[in-house]
Amino acid sequence: MRSVAVYGKGGIGKSTLASNMARALGKAGLKVLIVGCDPKCDSTMNITGKRIPPLLELMREDRNPPPDTFLFRANNVWCVEIGGPEPGVGCAGRGIIVGVNYLLKKLDLRDFDFVVFDVPADIVCGGLAAVVKEGYAEGVILVTSDDFMSVYAANNLCRGLSALRAKAFGLLYNMPAGGAEQVQEFSRRVGLPILGIVPYSEEIVRANKMRKTVVEAYPDSRISKVLESVSSSILGVEGGRIPRWLSIEELEEIFHEDPSGDHLRD
Amino acid sequence: MVLHPRPGPIAAAMYTLRDLDVEAIVLHGPSGCCFGPARLLERDGVRVFTTALSDNEIVFGGEERLSRVLRRIDEAFRPRLIGLVGTCTSMIIGENLRRAAEEAGVADRTICCNIHNCAGDNTVGAIEVLREALGMGLISKEEFERQRHALEMATRLERTRGTARMEYLPDGPGDDPKAVAREVVKSLRNGERIACVLNAKKETAFLFADLMLALAEARDEVGGRIEFVANLDPNVGLPRIRGYSKTILEELSARGIHVDLLTGGLDEYPVTGERAREAILSSPPELAVIAGVPHAVAVEGRVRTIAVTSGSRATSNLKSLGYDYAVNEPGAHRVSLGREKRIRRSLLGSAIRKAAREGL
Repeated sequence: MRSVAVYGKGGIGKSTLASNMARALGKAGLKVLIVGCDPKCDSTMNITGKRIPPLLELMREDRNPPPDTFLFRANNVWCVEIGGPEPGVGCAGRGIIVGVNYLLKKLDLRDFDFVVFDVPADIVCGGLAAVVKEGYAEGVILVTSDDFMSVYAANNLCRGLSALRAKAFGLLYNMPAGGAEQVQEFSRRVGLPILGIVPYSEEIVRANKMRKTVVEAYPDSRISKVLESVSSSILGVEGGRIPRWLSIEELEEIFHEDPSGDHLRD
Repeated sequence: MVLHPRPGPIAAAMYTLRDLDVEAIVLHGPSGCCFGPARLLERDGVRVFTTALSDNEIVFGGEERLSRVLRRIDEAFRPRLIGLVGTCTSMIIGENLRRAAEEAGVADRTICCNIHNCAGDNTVGAIEVLREALGMGLISKEEFERQRHALEMATRLERTRGTARMEYLPDGPGDDPKAVAREVVKSLRNGERIACVLNAKKETAFLFADLMLALAEARDEVGGRIEFVANLDPNVGLPRIRGYSKTILEELSARGIHVDLLTGGLDEYPVTGERAREAILSSPPELAVIAGVPHAVAVEGRVRTIAVTSGSRATSNLKSLGYDYAVNEPGAHRVSLGREKRIRRSLLGSAIRKAAREGL
């Protein structure tokens, strides 16, 4: 069994990549579980084609909902959405802790070949870190693009993982836009391999509109082959390691010609 | 860093709301939060309610539940004034107390206190309530500033001379009331002059004022001289607190006791402690019996002292400060809270009476 948690800057493509990885490995005959931890409940939509009832919503009505009310199977992928509060109220982090703890009482992750937790954004609180902190996922996959802000977020995640003594398997380089050198340098300095490069694809956009994974909607496309290959490599990656993290100066050094910022001064 | 348990801002906020005569206090948090102070305040005639938050409300927000609770309380009890207090749970998830009160239609008579127990010193809770009360026109600016000054002094006092001055203070049994009573009676019998100082905090005065009664009774029995110093000014503080002073003064007067020096009000013990200290040191007696918050009256080492307070940790603190004797009157709040406000019998007071009566 391999279990991973996908983290990265908001909007970087975590849910798209997580759902496509799940679908690709399910298609290869593996028993896969995807756990959406974002209150938006959008991790599994492209696999099931619909919004499934979030576990926490069910728990509001019945403290002990049976698995058949929150666990849905589609194309060899078992899907769960933890759910959470409306924007601006309550505590999504606590929701993840409560929901995932309940889920683990009802499911044995060892029954699956591959488990992926799709976690919202950054490790900004203990709740969002719970998946790795409590060891539910063996390691983390950091999704980043090559713009400064997404690498900045990835570096923050490395800092969090380092503090938690939690392991990462590597970086997933999404939608390269001419900054491969910077991502490679970042990868080298934090000590994490680049597990795959996923180019921008119109097919992904079209598949999203159809509420499908691209692996399902365009199985013969180049992007589907890339995603299948990346998924296989994640499945096979050994170990994982606690990443290093960079100071802001070191990060600036990778990205900017004048890391001191002197050019901005009068 | 202080490792032993200390009072928190939520309880301080609740007590201050009681002083403002709210009829209902609503704690927006888990049902067990501040259970002890809540039960004590209920004995004092304030209805205390909780929104009893659970994991559901922590995750999805609890403002709607709070509004429902406020509406229900309003329907059932029609409180003239409500105190609404945050807790760690509700404040950490960013609940808006004011908005919930508006939603329930009770905002104009609700004192909203955005406080929780991680907000710092306990006095922070009291000051927050007073600030809200000032904003609602319930107290004057002068009263707010007077109380804030006293509360800030109290915080400093606790850090320098109170139970927050050491990293860890163990409990201590204090001195045996019977043995201390014998010292008091011996001193009176020898014709010595005793300063009997009441420097109490609010309703606890109903317990500690018993020392004034007991000393007067013992003096009548065996002789000696007593000067009474007390923070019982009936013209200082909120109406409820002034009422406490007035009731106690009337009871003392009925027993023929005249207070020689009024140091101030019952809600300003750090300020009145300073005044009592000055009075004692200006004409040192042979013995000073200081009841309530003795560590605010810094005369140890200068005069022979008997300190009377509540709590075994506080007693231990007084001994380590250097007071000659420290007697614990357990549960001063528990003894003095209740609908009927009158001077209650204290352990040491009873022991002094017995010692004087039996000629010990």
